[in-house]
Amino acid sequence: MEPDYLATVLLSSLSSASILLIATLGLAVVYGLMGVINLAHGEFLMVGAYSALTATQIGIPYVLAIPVAVMITMLIGGVVEVLVVRRLYGRLFDTMLATWGLGMVFNQGAVLLFGTVSPGIGMPQYSIRIGEFSLAAYPLAMIAVAAGTLAFVYLLLTRTVYGMKARASIQEPEMAQAIGIDSSRINMLTFAIGTGLAGFAGAVLLPIIPATPSMGLFFAVKGFLTVVVAGPVALTGTALTAVGLGGGASVTASFMTSVIGDVFFFLATALLLWLYPLGISSKWRRKL
Amino acid sequence: MSEKLFSSSGLIFPAIATLLAVALAGHIDPYLAFVATSWVIFGLLGLSLDIIWGRGGFLSLAQTAFYGLGGYLGSVVAINMAPTTGLTLVWALPAGAAFGALVAAALGYVIFFARMGDLQSTILSYTFTLLLWSVTQTFKLDVGAADIGGDNGLANIPGIVLGLGADSDALGPNAAFVTVVLLSASIYFVTRWLMRSNFGRIVDCIRIDIEKTELLGYDIRKYQVINFAYSGAVAGVAGALFGLWANYLNPSIFSVQEALLVPIYVLIGGLGTLAGPFLGAIGIGWLSFWLGGGTVGGQTTLILGAVLVLLVLFLQNGFLGAIGGFWKRFLPDPNDAARNTGAVKIDTAVLESILIDAERQAGPAKPLLTEDLLKRFGGVIPVNKVSRHFVEGKPHALIGPNGAGKSSFLKTCVGLYRPEGGTIRLGSDEIANVAVFDRVRRGLGVKNQKPQVFGELTVLDNLWTAAFARTRDDVRAREISQKVLGMLGLEAQSKVQADALSHGQQQWLDIGMVLCLAPRVVLLDEPAAGMTNEETRELSLLVRTLARHTTVVVVEHDMEFVRTLEGHVTVLHQGKLFAEGDIDSLRLNDAVLDIYLGRGEHV
Repeated sequence: MEPDYLATVLLSSLSSASILLIATLGLAVVYGLMGVINLAHGEFLMVGAYSALTATQIGIPYVLAIPVAVMITMLIGGVVEVLVVRRLYGRLFDTMLATWGLGMVFNQGAVLLFGTVSPGIGMPQYSIRIGEFSLAAYPLAMIAVAAGTLAFVYLLLTRTVYGMKARASIQEPEMAQAIGIDSSRINMLTFAIGTGLAGFAGAVLLPIIPATPSMGLFFAVKGFLTVVVAGPVALTGTALTAVGLGGGASVTASFMTSVIGDVFFFLATALLLWLYPLGISSKWRRKL
Repeated sequence: MSEKLFSSSGLIFPAIATLLAVALAGHIDPYLAFVATSWVIFGLLGLSLDIIWGRGGFLSLAQTAFYGLGGYLGSVVAINMAPTTGLTLVWALPAGAAFGALVAAALGYVIFFARMGDLQSTILSYTFTLLLWSVTQTFKLDVGAADIGGDNGLANIPGIVLGLGADSDALGPNAAFVTVVLLSASIYFVTRWLMRSNFGRIVDCIRIDIEKTELLGYDIRKYQVINFAYSGAVAGVAGALFGLWANYLNPSIFSVQEALLVPIYVLIGGLGTLAGPFLGAIGIGWLSFWLGGGTVGGQTTLILGAVLVLLVLFLQNGFLGAIGGFWKRFLPDPNDAARNTGAVKIDTAVLESILIDAERQAGPAKPLLTEDLLKRFGGVIPVNKVSRHFVEGKPHALIGPNGAGKSSFLKTCVGLYRPEGGTIRLGSDEIANVAVFDRVRRGLGVKNQKPQVFGELTVLDNLWTAAFARTRDDVRAREISQKVLGMLGLEAQSKVQADALSHGQQQWLDIGMVLCLAPRVVLLDEPAAGMTNEETRELSLLVRTLARHTTVVVVEHDMEFVRTLEGHVTVLHQGKLFAEGDIDSLRLNDAVLDIYLGRGEHV
């Protein structure tokens, strides 16, 4: 096999793994810090994409449309936390069912508002060449975006007062409350940050993945698998799993068909869960 | 009268509903009959989820996968067989049931035998459905006359044909409705019978406390897989019926929208009620039929999503659960008897006779032997090369300050913790690599620190479940549990739910369950916790009597209790054997006093 081709496959696989990581981080943060699986995560991603799309349509430059999308999804996320998630603490499966229903509402709402097809946004197409192969530049840039987002979340949780309180609340909830941490506010913020990250993902991926009402489903499924395979150590575990599973599926897909890539993803997940029934990080000693 | 009606309401009301549906079927509009048939089919699909979720305790989002697969295979078989033989029901239903059961068993094998976490199991089942959705979009295959055409679907599925031979016609909508109602009703009654049988009792126990069920010696994973396979078979039958009803299938049967409906049916009707899902499916179907397929019908997904959110938030027990709760308020409460419990008085003669019976059935006491047993959690070593030999005759007490590794030692012997090294021998068997339930079957009986009883079951049923685990014989299990019930002095409370008992009473019940197992080695972790002084005295008597017939190891903090046992005492400290002897010599041992009081060089 030619080295150029191999490099191309590796780079594009790393970029799909990065895209998966970007789309999954918000889910991982909410699961890792609140123990809640937000089944509407994919729909928040979709809301972010539509927010960015609408923002560019009314004349806001794309770069500024991304923070707009983040703000909108954080706002909605905060409201959802107060109205639904908060009432179901400690009832994991009820939370899942409720957010699942919510996701369907968002999905159908988007169909009503925007229809099932939507225009992409015009972005200049840059590409780079490796030997005789040419790769689009934007997907490759996602590798840097993924690394940047990961670093941002890590710093947010380790270097800020909010992060300190959030980690205290998840490790010793009662102690955290006893020393005066308002855990319900922290949880609201955590959920909003999680949905904000989903919104960010939807917006930043908009040039590659056009906004459609059901776009969230595609990411959500792989995202859920990534998070449960990763287990309790939210950041490191998720990053590792996303690169491993997402990259592996993408390599498989580029040699065979995309359906076989999906099948690989599912089988690899089942195998990993067989070996690590509570996630690969269930016995790690680090917490982030 | 009212109580009898309440306890058999799951039999009477569905029977009345079935008769009514059959009686009215001839008089309703054929179009309504046609649509209503699908509601009943969806109810059957809901029933399959209620079996595994409401009873088995596992929220499976793969029921539409088994439904779809059963539908596809049933339809393929029906298409190929109908032209020559007719009788589509006879071909399609078993094929759908078998396929659904097979796939569910395979998925369940992975989930349960890997001992996946609850969340991991649910997510894996969900992605399994979505994977099928993605794969079937492009899956094209010709099987005889059947043409599976990817997202074009599978067309030309014959209707419900009951007649034999090539020229038999499909049933009309009203007759098809009657057929589906009768089929679904019989599946419902079979399921109800199954869930009230011994099998169903154990499935219930697994939902309530999976660890305790295994500690009684039940091979829990086998029960989970069988129950899941049964739910897959019911879903497969529903799918096959749906194929015959719709005459057409496509991959949207695996879609999220489809999967979403199933828990909605179950939650509306009432989780765990078995009849509830039918009520939920018919209610939702009738509502959308009544609202019409126009503007409102187009927003079904929106409405259903919102309904699911509201149901989870506000109506946890569903319709039947709410009615049942309301009805119960007018019935005498069996838990009232829990208030009139007297002090437990152990009658040694009765206890002796129970133990002699046990010895006759289960053989003589077995020694428990550990050699260099090692258990490690990261840097902490709660069990550090412990070698100990326990035999019958006198009770063995394990003492030591908090964190000495006493409970960890017991848990490692039972198999709840997997040791990193060393051997454990029960009699002549090496059991370090034997599954927990199998250790129990070989004669290990365990009572953990917290009382573990099945809170929703009655006191007598708790004991019966333990006795049945060993005897596998309903009559003998009844005899044994009655005898132990009498010894514990809980006859008046036999119909009380276990979680209505006080903490001390639950301790006794838990000990009684261990006795029902006729164990050859008994491990008791702080049995006296939460007991009054009188109860502790009775307990001491029980433990000493027990030790004459079996090997007994007791972990205890209460030194006074340990003294009354008059047995061997082993002191553990930081995971290691520290000292041993009888309690009086240990009381004079400075080193032991040092570790208990936290002074001197041994700390």
